[in-house]
Amino acid sequence: METVVEIRHLKKSFGKNEVLKDINLKIEKGENMVVFGKSGSGKSILIKCLVGLVQPDAGEVLILGKDICKLNDDELNALRKKVGFLFQSGALYDSMSVRENLEFPLRGNKTNTKEETEALVIEALKNVGLEDAIDKMPTELSGGMRKRIGLARTLILKPEIILYDEPTTGLDPITSKEISHLILEVQKKFNTSSIIITHDVECARLTANRMIIIKEGTSDITGTFKELSESKDETIRAYFQ
Amino acid sequence: MIASIKIFFEEVAHLAMFTFQFFKQVFKPSYEFKEFIKQCYLIGYKSFPLIGLTGFIMGLVLTIQSRPTLVDFGAESWLPAMVAVSIIREIGPVITALIFAGKVGSGIGAELASMKVTEQIDAMEVSGTNSFKYLVVPRIAAATLMLPLLVISADVIALYGSYIGCNINGDVSFPLFILQVFEKLSFADIFPAVIKTFFFGFSIALIGCFKGYNATNGTQGVGKAANAAVVYASLGVFIIDMIAVQLTNLF
Repeated sequence: METVVEIRHLKKSFGKNEVLKDINLKIEKGENMVVFGKSGSGKSILIKCLVGLVQPDAGEVLILGKDICKLNDDELNALRKKVGFLFQSGALYDSMSVRENLEFPLRGNKTNTKEETEALVIEALKNVGLEDAIDKMPTELSGGMRKRIGLARTLILKPEIILYDEPTTGLDPITSKEISHLILEVQKKFNTSSIIITHDVECARLTANRMIIIKEGTSDITGTFKELSESKDETIRAYFQ
Repeated sequence: MIASIKIFFEEVAHLAMFTFQFFKQVFKPSYEFKEFIKQCYLIGYKSFPLIGLTGFIMGLVLTIQSRPTLVDFGAESWLPAMVAVSIIREIGPVITALIFAGKVGSGIGAELASMKVTEQIDAMEVSGTNSFKYLVVPRIAAATLMLPLLVISADVIALYGSYIGCNINGDVSFPLFILQVFEKLSFADIFPAVIKTFFFGFSIALIGCFKGYNATNGTQGVGKAANAAVVYASLGVFIIDMIAVQLTNLF
């Protein structure tokens, strides 16, 4: 199996607050890894470290074999095009229509003609089932639609790795289930590897190949959904109730 | 007290690094030319009605208010020249820059801050786009180039306002008014006044971008960034003006 993400002894503090003390993990190609943890345990900081939005204090973060802490700006931007990031809120650009939002990541690619760009936009929207929303503004979309469009914008660059930051938070159970199925579809269709930060047990059950629980800044608790949800340790089982 | 001084110097250091980053990015290809043109339209063209109206009122009011004093000294004929020198050398650039800081500085601060707190700037970064180059560089460049044009426009409109002001209580033909204005105006009045407006525009957009781009604390941070952008940009205008006056007097 090919390892696409490897984190070794990652540490991150904010002032005196040591959020991540020693994180170690490996993700193989085509694998979905779900990350659980209490609010404020550093889950979002962890995935922000993976794309260089937050600089770790110590440790190594290897993405597709490259240590992101050692890359210059151009190399980091090139690597970021291979890593999709779905933000909790969708983070759609307010001043742009859905079409412009999806075209935005492609703007650096001068080889695409206008027709090719249009085809890529429509294909990405088809993948999330929202072709009709192409000319809408983000303010006209519901929470679930915003997340789907955010995912379409992520998929348009055909990333090898996708990082989901609480993809089902704030959604009703039916829409949450639809988003979880969409994550699975994306995994099957594009053979992407994913890290999914969530508190949603149902989302974890549906999407996880493997899970990790961040507790006291470490990543020692790891296993499949079944192993962890049926753990003899009551404190681990508590995450699934 | 010591903590406040430390925070102040940290802020100044961050602003200096932000400015350095601007100069590093502005000359480095590729260029965001389309975004620059869009910002010129939004910052320059869209500000014109407000600046024009302010300029007209400025010329009219200054003329009406100055007239009685000049009449007392029997120097009523000096009114067009005195108002023109005041407007072109000082009042036009400073008032226009302050209005510009209120409209454009706060707008940039609020827009970038809301993008920051809703993770839109992070989303740009993770899609492989240099957000500083896309958001900050075109806004600062556009404001630097647009404010001088707005000041020149405001000066012209203010002179027209002054002409109307002169004719409320007097009778001055337009050619005579223009002749009296340019009789007392020299290149040394116009050139330094225009040059300093480039610095006004640069500092207003720089402070707006700096406050917005580094906003924190959610929606509260957006309000703070917009407010701080106006306050510090206005203060910056006065400081630059003071330095510009001293330098002009040297020559």
